[in-house]
Amino acid sequence: MTKMTKLIVLSVIVFSLALYPVAADEGDSAYKTPDQIKRILRDLADQNKNNAQLLNLGKTVGDRDILLIELKGSDATAPAILVAANMEGNCPLATEAAVELTELLLTEWKTDLDTHRWFIMAVGNPDGYARFFDSPTHASFVNDRPVNDDKDDATGEDGPDDLNGDGFITQMRQLHPEGGWMMVEDNPVLMKKAETDRGEDGMYRLFEEGIDNDGDGRINEDGPGGANPGRNFPHNFRHFTTTNGLWAASENESRALLRFAFDHPEIAMVLTFGRANSLREVPSGSRGVGATQDSYKVPRWMARRMGVDPDKKFPLSELVEMAKEFTGSQDITEDQVLQWLGAGAATKPNKKDTPYWEEITKRYKDFIKEAGLNGKRLDPPDFSSGAVEDWAYYQFGVPSFAVDFWTVPVKEKEEKKETGALSPDEIEKMSNEEFIELGTEKIGEFLEAAGVGAQYTPEMTIQALQGGMITTKKIAEMARKKEKKEESGGADEEDQALYDYNPDAFVIWQEYDHPTLGKVEIGGKIPYADLAPPPAEADSLVTKQLPFIRTLAGLLPQVAIEKIEIAQRSRDVWEINSWVVNEGFLPYPTHQGERCQRPTPAVVTLDRGSAALLEGKERQTVGLLDGSGGSKKVSWLLQAGRGSDITISVNGFSAGTAEQTVSLVEGGK
Amino acid sequence: MNKNLIRLAVVSFIAVSIPFSPAADDTRLTFDHYYDGPAVLEALQYLNRTYSDYTELRSIGQSEEGRDIWLFTINNPVTGRDTDKPGIYVDGTIHGNEIQAAEVCLYVANYLLTSYDTIPAIKELVDNRSFYIIPIVNVDNRARFFEDAASYSIGRTARVPFDDDRDGLADEDPDEDIDGDGEILQMRIKDPFGDRKSHPDDPRVMIRTEPGELGEWRVLGREGIDNDNDGRLNEDGPGYLDMNRNYGFKWQPPYVQGGAGEFPMSARVNKAIADFVITKPNICFDFAFHNSGGLIVRGPGSKLAGHYPSSDVAVYDFLGEEGEKILPGYRYIIGGQDMYTTHGDFDEFMFSNLGIFGFVGELFMGSQERYPSDTGRGGDESYPRGRRETSKQKFSDNLTQGTMFRDWKEFDHPQYGKIEIGGWRPYSSRIGQPFLLPEMCHRNASLVLFTARHAPDITLELLEVKDIGNGLRRVRVRASNENAIPSLSQNAVRRKIYRKDMLTIAGSGIEVVSGGTVDDLVFDRVDYVDHRPERIFTSIPSFGKRDIQWIVRGRGRATVTYDAIKAGNQSLTIDL
Repeated sequence: MTKMTKLIVLSVIVFSLALYPVAADEGDSAYKTPDQIKRILRDLADQNKNNAQLLNLGKTVGDRDILLIELKGSDATAPAILVAANMEGNCPLATEAAVELTELLLTEWKTDLDTHRWFIMAVGNPDGYARFFDSPTHASFVNDRPVNDDKDDATGEDGPDDLNGDGFITQMRQLHPEGGWMMVEDNPVLMKKAETDRGEDGMYRLFEEGIDNDGDGRINEDGPGGANPGRNFPHNFRHFTTTNGLWAASENESRALLRFAFDHPEIAMVLTFGRANSLREVPSGSRGVGATQDSYKVPRWMARRMGVDPDKKFPLSELVEMAKEFTGSQDITEDQVLQWLGAGAATKPNKKDTPYWEEITKRYKDFIKEAGLNGKRLDPPDFSSGAVEDWAYYQFGVPSFAVDFWTVPVKEKEEKKETGALSPDEIEKMSNEEFIELGTEKIGEFLEAAGVGAQYTPEMTIQALQGGMITTKKIAEMARKKEKKEESGGADEEDQALYDYNPDAFVIWQEYDHPTLGKVEIGGKIPYADLAPPPAEADSLVTKQLPFIRTLAGLLPQVAIEKIEIAQRSRDVWEINSWVVNEGFLPYPTHQGERCQRPTPAVVTLDRGSAALLEGKERQTVGLLDGSGGSKKVSWLLQAGRGSDITISVNGFSAGTAEQTVSLVEGGK
Repeated sequence: MNKNLIRLAVVSFIAVSIPFSPAADDTRLTFDHYYDGPAVLEALQYLNRTYSDYTELRSIGQSEEGRDIWLFTINNPVTGRDTDKPGIYVDGTIHGNEIQAAEVCLYVANYLLTSYDTIPAIKELVDNRSFYIIPIVNVDNRARFFEDAASYSIGRTARVPFDDDRDGLADEDPDEDIDGDGEILQMRIKDPFGDRKSHPDDPRVMIRTEPGELGEWRVLGREGIDNDNDGRLNEDGPGYLDMNRNYGFKWQPPYVQGGAGEFPMSARVNKAIADFVITKPNICFDFAFHNSGGLIVRGPGSKLAGHYPSSDVAVYDFLGEEGEKILPGYRYIIGGQDMYTTHGDFDEFMFSNLGIFGFVGELFMGSQERYPSDTGRGGDESYPRGRRETSKQKFSDNLTQGTMFRDWKEFDHPQYGKIEIGGWRPYSSRIGQPFLLPEMCHRNASLVLFTARHAPDITLELLEVKDIGNGLRRVRVRASNENAIPSLSQNAVRRKIYRKDMLTIAGSGIEVVSGGTVDDLVFDRVDYVDHRPERIFTSIPSFGKRDIQWIVRGRGRATVTYDAIKAGNQSLTIDL
């Protein structure tokens, strides 16, 4: 009864709302619409004819241009960095960052263009982003492709309705026996799912604001659009959802970007500006069998020929040796063996790439601290299917980083009192093996203290760890989530953080007489409040973080010829040894690039003039060059008169080029 | 070598040596020869001209080399729009070297149209089905089979440049017709340590040496030059993008599935066909013709595709097992289990992504082009060694007057010196002899027609109108299907690919109180819907029925409508 009274009191409070997203006509403090972005980019291209070109890669279903601006300096063939911003359409800050980066590269950072080109797509999902500016505001950011979500005889016929006319599509709650939801204690707006196993009785049903337009008993189940191009890329694509698209690359937006990327082999790195962030820590990849196991069985038909046990699992290294012996070739790589085994696509970052990646995350964290942006904030979401950044690394084979520029800040909590059990932080530092060694008793204590749920017995946890289904990191994460929930009266962590950050991000529940449901209350989270900071904060957030993006260009691989040795073997026979090195920080190609067979490794060519070639090749690839000075030796034996000139050139494609001419004299450089 | 000169030589050679072009003054279709690219179009234009009321010919897009992809539609407009009838899709030659697939497609079209007036069963089919026929999917490489120096094993790919040997150059080391005879054959070089020797009975045939024997020959590979001097011969020809690995269902990248292309539907033809197919949701079955093997293949093509629902498997089994009888010698198999794993193929795309049943027809059986009594299994290695090859030679000698094989001839190779060129010519080995074409076309077309006959024909009938008192009446109708193909595959239902069939009752004087599907008529079990009872979503199974019940108030005339995506529309009037 007290709850009910509180409810009624709160509902009659008159309140003011901080209105965002802010409409486009509010000047500098507003986010820019896709049309405004288009004008800004066109002006920039017009004013910087030598350095910028605005390319139109196609049209969306909503008839909007898919734009990409190319920025270049003196070298029109220089390696390029591709920036894909706001592919999901719900991240205004990503678009602002992309535009700001464009402006900086054409002014203060213009000299950067002499070493690298930049391809910047500021609005990857123009249809979806246009919805951000719609009124009423609705948290939907799919493109305009018609999708019959509920598979009835009409398409897009049951979208949300702004019943109370406040300009937002929020939520409706209704006291109902079906219930399931309850109010968060001591909070006027937040709702939580009732935990029946803790004796909680949820009195409310929760709906999105709207009416059942098509009378099928479901509310808002078939709104306008569409597909989300940000989930439509072909690594780990998920079929048969209502918003991922019909198949990978089915959407105009994703297809346009893919086509452009494959047409530009000079792209050395892909950066995704959006909601995900892979710079905070190396992503763990998606779960899955296949190419991420440490040991494999040999397929039966192959096992018979090779004379090995088809039921036994062998470590990959051993399989490589077996394959070498079987084929009589010493050039067999792990990647080839994985292909033969039919191991499927890679699902985790290559172990040999991760050290580079880890170093970059370290630098990123230092930078963020330096910039004063290291306050606690909500974790960016972890996307596992169809993401641009995953495609760029796993299939396009280049270094790929996703960066977000903001999530809702989290209020710092006071220290928790000590208990005997291990803390999540301690667990996280342990390896899986160390954790298992604690024994069932200790693990049980921890699980109980962490309250992760009765379904996790110590035995099961150990099994899951051994089977690779879970890691100590994941366990620590789960425990922390639970901890936070306890602290905030059971409210969802994200909701609580948003409420602490800005209580006005929620509409106070108010009664409404719904045409079919009867008496309901409308209120709850304002769309996008958790996806973008108030526009006034945008500029500073972006300006502070872009310098790190700039430094990423400096990490790209760069080929060079470090040394050429010439030795006279006989009167007119010369031995030439040369070393091709990678002067950049990152390897070329990445180790995953070797697996996915792209990009092409550096090619060394010899222009020998009139000299005769006795040993070696005029043109050859050198394979993978490790980062930070990784090298490969290339040798030739030539017959020519003393003093003849030869030229050695290296084409590193997206890792630059190098060339040296030397004369055939004893001890030449 | 001057490439243009070679090409010129090739063209003139083909013009004089291949007796397969149809007589110019007779435009009626005959199936005793192969139609080249322009001739296929002329044949379609002829059919379109002659049967203009029933047919449509249009280009649905262009290939990488700018050739049109021709779609031929057969529909009788008098009996309704094409999309209001179950659609049968037939295509061929997604692999450019598998040329006879186009002939089967032409045969289907020709048979349906020329027999419409004389064969009642054909009239029935044409009046109640729509047919969408794309005889040539790989328009570029099928055309080039006739225009360029050819081999039965060249031209599978789309003409999308690809750096096969990953050396930074694309397509720089193709096969070449180095002796300028218009054909790409085999090269061999004398080598006492080689692993082949001439067959004692037929020196044209090579057999493997056995332990203790010295060799005579080393096979170098297909005709050509090591253009890029990398020590490998012809390792980077045009392509390779296999259009039958470039479709969208659980597509896997090239490092997992060779030939997959850059991304799903990255090849223009794939995109054009996918875009077309989704505009015709009425398609309920597809055939894609290939060579070779004599197979009727269904999916799944890979473990990733998962299992097919058992009721769909039953449909496949019914049609596939009948197919084995219509096509003696052909085997009905599951691609991923009985053949090899494929990702991104057309058949999987159609079934798993779009919920459309389909068969891949692997035309041509090698056993038909050998002396039957000599046909031992096990190939060259079986005893007596080379038996398969020598019997194939006898077939060539005595049924084609030796035109299938070109005898070995010395040639001075610019890189390898004195070699020999010879071997099985383009019209052999997987491209059947023209005299066998008519029967192959007819039998395969017959399976298409048998399947088309089993597309869903829904019968809508009134079971009862029963007064249940107090002004209410119970109406029961039945929608049944006596054919093998259901109105929606179970896969389509499970994955919610389409709207289901909609059964509605309406009338100005009636109010619908309740509605549902009768699960069991005898035990009177009904599955009621919670909302909008006048409208029931369902699907009509293979050789089965659905009974629908409504309880209505009021009098007068009511109309029951059946409206399906893949099984047409119809209605029933009831007097209440």
